[in-house]
Formats: sequence, C-alpha cells, structure tokens
Amino acid sequence: MVSEKKGMKLENTVSLFISRSAHRSSEMNKTGSWRFSLPVYKDKTAPCSAACPTGTEIPRVEMHMSRGEVRKAWEKIIWENPFPAVCGRVCFHECEGACNRKNLDSAVGINSLEKFIGDIALSESYTFDEVEGTTNKRVAIIGAGPSGLSAAYFLSKLGFLCEVFEKESEAGGVMRWGIPSYRLPKNILLDEIKRIEELGIKIHCNRELSIDEFNNIKNEFDAVYLGCGLGASISPGFEGESLLEEGSIFLKRVESEKMSLDGQDIAVIGGGNTAIDVARSLIRTGAKATILYRRRKEDMPAFIHEISAAEDEGVKIVELVSPTCVKHKGEMLEIDLQEMTTGDIDSHGRMSVRPLGGKRSLIYNKIISGIGNQIKDTWHSPDQNNSKMELKNSIIDITGDTPLVYGGDLTNKNQSVSDAIASGKEIAIVLDLHFKGDSDIIDSLEKCRVGVNAISFEIYRGGRKQYKEFVEFKNVNIDYFDKEDRNELPQISKEESINSFNEVEKNYTFQMAANEALRCFNCGVCNDCDNCRVFCPDASIIIEDGKRVIKTDFCKGCGVCVTECPRSAMGMEEEKV
Amino acid sequence: MNEKVMEGSHAISEAVRLCNVGVVSGFPITPQTHIIEAIAEHCSDGTMKAKYINVESEHSAMAAIVGASSAGTRAFTATSSHGLALMHELLHWAAGARLPIVMGEVNRALGPGWNIWTDQTDSLSQRDTGWIQLYCEDGQEALDTVIFGFRLAELVNLPVMVIIDAFLVSHTYEAVSVPTQDEVNEFLPAFNPRIKLDLENPQALNQMASPQYYMEMRKSMQLAMETVEDIYDEVEDEFHDTWGRRYGSVEGINLDADVVFVTSGTATTTCRLAIKDLTDKGESVGMLKIKMFRPFPAKGIQNALKNAGKVAVVDRNFSFGAGGIFAQEVKSSLCNLKDAPVVFNFIAGLGGRDITTDTFFEMYEKVNANDIPQTESEWIGINEQELK
Repeated sequence: MVSEKKGMKLENTVSLFISRSAHRSSEMNKTGSWRFSLPVYKDKTAPCSAACPTGTEIPRVEMHMSRGEVRKAWEKIIWENPFPAVCGRVCFHECEGACNRKNLDSAVGINSLEKFIGDIALSESYTFDEVEGTTNKRVAIIGAGPSGLSAAYFLSKLGFLCEVFEKESEAGGVMRWGIPSYRLPKNILLDEIKRIEELGIKIHCNRELSIDEFNNIKNEFDAVYLGCGLGASISPGFEGESLLEEGSIFLKRVESEKMSLDGQDIAVIGGGNTAIDVARSLIRTGAKATILYRRRKEDMPAFIHEISAAEDEGVKIVELVSPTCVKHKGEMLEIDLQEMTTGDIDSHGRMSVRPLGGKRSLIYNKIISGIGNQIKDTWHSPDQNNSKMELKNSIIDITGDTPLVYGGDLTNKNQSVSDAIASGKEIAIVLDLHFKGDSDIIDSLEKCRVGVNAISFEIYRGGRKQYKEFVEFKNVNIDYFDKEDRNELPQISKEESINSFNEVEKNYTFQMAANEALRCFNCGVCNDCDNCRVFCPDASIIIEDGKRVIKTDFCKGCGVCVTECPRSAMGMEEEKV
Repeated sequence: MNEKVMEGSHAISEAVRLCNVGVVSGFPITPQTHIIEAIAEHCSDGTMKAKYINVESEHSAMAAIVGASSAGTRAFTATSSHGLALMHELLHWAAGARLPIVMGEVNRALGPGWNIWTDQTDSLSQRDTGWIQLYCEDGQEALDTVIFGFRLAELVNLPVMVIIDAFLVSHTYEAVSVPTQDEVNEFLPAFNPRIKLDLENPQALNQMASPQYYMEMRKSMQLAMETVEDIYDEVEDEFHDTWGRRYGSVEGINLDADVVFVTSGTATTTCRLAIKDLTDKGESVGMLKIKMFRPFPAKGIQNALKNAGKVAVVDRNFSFGAGGIFAQEVKSSLCNLKDAPVVFNFIAGLGGRDITTDTFFEMYEKVNANDIPQTESEWIGINEQELK
C-alpha cells in the first residue's frame, strides 16, 4: 500500500531568512558600525632619529639593511648626511644612547652599521644623483670642513652653484687634519669628498682669505657661507706656555710627516678628544704618552670609549693636576703641577675642582697642549652690530646686500662632524627659503624639524613626512624581540694598533651587518612584518597593491593590530560622527 | 505494520526509533520520563543509531538539540511542565534558527501546588515561541504525529511540538499500529537541510542582526507559518496514502448543530461519547476537535463553526486575568465573521481533575440555559467552600 509518489512530491520552498556569516549576515551586519575609534598606520619618530644631529631616519636605514638592501639604506642616509663612511667612524652616535633597544639588552650598533653601509657605497662606487635644474645663484663657501662641504652638498642639491675656499692644501678640515687616520683613514675621507665634488662643486685649496678678499667675494657671490672653524689654539695661560706644541698642529704633522718619537716621554695637557687623539697618535710614533688633566677622568669631555681605548694602548692618565709652569730642564721640559681636589657640582652639572695645596713637578721630553681651539679671525664670526637670525646650528645675517651665513664649530654648541653637517644642511635650506622669498623662514624650517635640533632635508624636499609623535620603549611590544648580543666590530690586534696608524676597528661582514640591523626595533616605522593583518580578528586588513589597507566595513576598532604592532607604527584615532 | 499494546509515551519513543533520528537529548520529568527512558534504552541496545546526550537540565537538552539540528542531523527531545518552562529561552532560539526539531511534550500542570497531572497551560504558555503545536488524543495519534511531524518540520523549517495529556495518554496502554521501518523510510526522506553547519562551507549561524534585518527574519518565520496548514494537509495526504489514517488540523462532527463543543486532547475522546449520548436523546449537538493550535487554523475554524448555533469551548488551561486560551483564539477567529455564533467558555479538568461525560452534560445544560454567554470563563465543578 506504499504509493509511489510519497516522500518526493513535497519540497521545502518556504521563506528561510536567518543571520549567518557565509554571505548575508556579514553583509547585513557591518560590524564596523560598532567602532568608535579606527586604527591607522601612523609612522612616528624614533628616539635615535630625534637624537641624531642630522635627523637621519635610522629605523628605515636599518630596515633596508636588515633586508640586505644596502643601496636603499645608503640612499636613505644621504638624504640627510653626505658622509656616511666618515660619520660611521667619527660620530659620537647619540643615536645609540637614545636607542630603545638598550632597555632590552643593548643599543643597536647604528654607528657601525653606518660605517658598513658607507664603505659598501664607496667600494661599489655609488654616486649621488645628478642635480636637476639650477637657481643660477652662486654661493661662496669659506672652509672645506664638514660644515662647508655639507653646505655645498645640500646647496648643490637645491640647484645652487657652489665654490669652496680652503686655506689648507686639501679639503676636509678637522676630518682631514684633526682626526688621526687610525680612526678615519685618509682614503675614506677623500673618496667621500670626491663624491661631493662630483656634484659640480669647485674646491679652491690653498686659498686662505684675507678680509679684503672676503669683501670681494661678498660682492661677487649671491651668498656667502662661513664655516671657518676654530683655527687658533687656546692659550693655556701659564708661565712657559710657549714651550708647548699645539695639539692641532701636532696632529697635522703626524698626518703629513713620517714621525718617530721612539722612547720619548711626552705629556699631553687636556681632557678632550684632541688630547686623546694626540696621546694615541704619540703611542703610534713609539712615544710614551701621559695625559695631564685638571679634573677627574670621569669628567673628561672626550668620548668614554676613546679614553678606554687610549688607556688600553698604554696612555697614562694623571688626574686632578693643573699645570702652573713649564721650564727647560736640560734637554727635557719640567712641568710644575698644582694638585687639585673635587669641590661642588657647578652650574653645568660638572664637578668643580679646587687646589688641594700639594705641588709636584714632572719631567718630559716634550709637552703638547690639547685643550682646544678658538676663532682665528674676527670676520669669521658674525658682526656683533648686525641683527641676525640665531638658529640651532647656524647664524644668518641678511642685513647686507649679500646674505652671510655662519655655521660649523663657530656656531655649534657641540663641536662635532655631525653637528657640522647639520649646520651645512640648515644654511642650505635657509638660503633656499630666503631666495624663494619665504615670509617666515623660522616657521618653514620648523616644519622640517626632527626631534629637537635636527632638520630633515628629505622632509624639506617632500620625500618624508614629519612625525610629531615619538616612540618610547613602553610603546614597543617587546614580546616580539628576544635578547640578542650586539655585534661589535672586530678590531686589529693591539700590537698592530700601537705600531701603526692602521684603522683600529675593522668592519662587519655582510651577514653581521644584516644581523645587527635585524636587532633594530624599527621604532615607529612599518617594516611589513604583517602582524597587524595576521592578528586582525575581523580580517579587515588586506593588502592592496602591496600596501596594507584597513577596511572599515568590519573593523570594530578593537585595536588588536595596534597592540600587536611590535614597533608602534600604528595608532588609534577617535572617529567623529 | 503490526499492532502492539503500549503506553502513549512509548508510542512516541517508537515513532522516534523509526524516524532515523541522529541525536536525542533529554532530562527526566514525570510524566514524560518514559519517552526518553525508552529512547535511551533503544540507543543503548543498538536498536536505534542515535547519539543520546545526557544533560543536567531541559535548558541544556534543548541547547544540545539546537546544536545537533544546526549541524544537520534529525534531532528529538521530550519534556513536560516545569521542564518545558525551563526550556523557554531555547524554544525561541530553535524556532528563530528555523530548526526542524520535533519535541514530545506531555501536558502537566505547573506548580505550586505541586501537581503531576494533566493540564495544557504548560504548552500553551509557549504559544508565542514560533513552534508548531499539535495536540493528540491517544497513543496512535501521538505516534503518527511524530512521524509526520518530522516531515512537516523539515518542509517548513519550523520546530514541532507533539503534545499528549499526562497519564491519560502518556501512561495509558492502548493498541497502537506501528509502521515498518521501510514504510517510514519511504515516507520520511533523509534529512537534507537547506542551511547547516558544514565543514565544506564554513559559516557562523544566527549572529547579530541589526534592526535593519531582524524584522524580515521574523516576517520570514511568519511566512513559513502561513504555509503550514496547506503543507500539513499535503503531508497528511501522503501519510494517509501509506497508512490510511488522517487527523486534520481540525476535525468536526455535526457542525451545524445548535451547540458545538470545541475540544482538544483527551477531552475530545470523552466529548465524542457525550455528544453520542446527547444525540441519541435527540439533542442537536456537535463537536470540533482542534489538533493544530499553532499555527492557529483560523480559516478552518471559521468555516467549521459558521453554521453552529452556539459554540462551547472547553479549556483545560487558563490564562489568568483573561480566560481559556483556546476560547480566546476561537473568539478572535470568529469575531469578524458575519452572524458569528456566540462562544461560551468552560474551564474544566485543571491539574488532572477528570472531565467526564457528566462534565459535558453540565456544560451543555449551561449553554442551553443562556442565549448570551457570560463575559468571564465559567469554571466547572468548583467547590465554592474552598474559595471562602
């Protein structure tokens, strides 16, 4: 009695509308409407960039280096600094002092990486892009030191025609004559200078200018930059000072003569980098070197690692002695020393010293003064009577027909190569703004500010955005970083060090450099790690044309992407309805 | 087909055994326990292939069944009274999720006072959950209704409650004709849901629906409900073709009579005897059995009662402050009918009190004595002394 039609005739065709994810419910239920704040990709300023006098975007340099993209890393550096190979050796790298990574294990070897990148650029003969277009404005640059050469570099990039006047036989200034070649080999410096010259810059060497010549140049050029440096030694101011040799002159002689001071006992007065450079150079000429310093070793303005390297090489440091008199003692020189003791902390936060009462005398073959330099001619610095713009790294005098700009050691609080580069960049931008008739140069310059002191040429040229927010260590998600030893540069043997002017620090291998660059958190910079996309619970981050894009239909604003961004390259923005 | 003597509970268990059910879950409660107890035994002894899920409450039983049905398997549970009340939240879910679950429900009074006997208020309290409700008179009807209940549920994507009276059906042994497995297999095709959780096509079901969409979902349920009466008839046609039995969403006897009783559940069986006695005495009396309470077969009822003299609805249930629940629905069905008959409402048999032929005779006299019914429901057999 079972009929044939059964079970098959009826079909379920009723309306059946329920919420479900497969198609309709996710379309119908755009959960993005629940959101009150939206994640955004938001690059920020890393502490290293903010600390760098040149404002180099270091996290991106290291990002490229970690991928083995040396050329891109170099191109990133030269936006802000035409001397990577030099700075990779001589910069006092405040970037590393500011590095967030030091809160986890130790700072990234930014300085060493710069040296590696700079050296690859030289060995691979990377050249600067040719400048397109010209302003037809001519700028005279007095002094071919780091600030003058940097000014020439940045001005040339802006289409200015530059001529550099240098009193010495070769360009380089303090880099050439003040920094010994065991720290900065001559060929490295010359190669980096040559690359700048190739932008079409004329460098006239052996042209020390008189004030008359300076006045002629003012008439001849549209602007003049004075980066004359500190050409005269500071006189120590005690009896017999004329018996001392000037440190800067000694360093220049060491560079140009083959000097042997075998077995001689030589004292160096001072506690700055000049004194250390002189002492370490003395060691290399076979002499015994003793530094006489009136404060304590920890008060010395020289870089700590230079002090310890000097001691390692056999330099003796006598602390808390103040010279009062130098006189002949037969073939030798006798120096009378007042013993000092520590007092209170002075207004600069430095320990003051005062005489203790005791005196002693020491005998040396030679005594060198390394206490610093000062301005040589008054016209090297701005006219006191004119009104001027005093900027972070330069002073601008536009009272006359020809704008006069001053920078480098003449104006800088910190007398370093990096600060000199910052001067050169600042004056280049200021002159460009001036000739463009910019109504508020200070404000325009501020728009290129990185951190507190640096100005970015890349921001000025529109190639990089200015990020107001900084990345602090607490903003880094350290769940993504394991402790890892810093890669230190290998060194030549101590024996080789003290018997030659060969560069003490060797270089990374490519693998070491890439590994060291990988240690960089890339603070505030997206390095395509893809965490944001992987973690998004709503699959609301997609890749379009190789770029990550946040789709707002379903993004609930949970912020997981922002939290999981290891490097704080994202943020949440409140949405206003 | 073979006839067996069994209690009404086991008629339901037997039907479930035949329906290729995949998952059964339940929690014991008198007078339902025998249903799931027998099924648990069938699962245990292998005569049924279903997975039996032990749970700690009726709420969980229904939740388990919702899950099983969402996963695309035929699923069953049974409950009664307080158990049904505890399930209430999940009843909405099962219907809103459009799951073709079948549930056995044994009408039992809700406490306090603690009472295990029959009373329809438990199931009628669930009338707005979106379940189809089918009331049965005896064990055979219960068995048949479970079988075509699955067929109906799966054709309209709505859950079906198959309802019997406590003890009067659940624990009463009667001869029941049990279909063969082959017959059931042919009548009830394999469950092939339109929407299910599927590893090949992963999706989340029943999430958030904003105001923009919720109303359409509810309208969709109602559209499905509106097809139920017609599809029920077609399913019954097929059932009748196989087994020669049919019940109808309503069943009428002598509907043109001066007085027509409206009944449901086992009161119907008693009513059949009462109107036979009255008719034999020359009285003009008829009867309308309502089997389908949800969807309420309003058109069928209008049609059935339009020629009746007076209508007397017997309710074994009560909605406090209003009246008998069947009476409310019958009245609203008739209210727009021209020359509609007056509707009397009697409340009888609550908490398992017997409804006998004498009860019907008493009600019949009360109807005849009044042209117009009183506004309130009339409670039959009340001992007024207790209310003082």
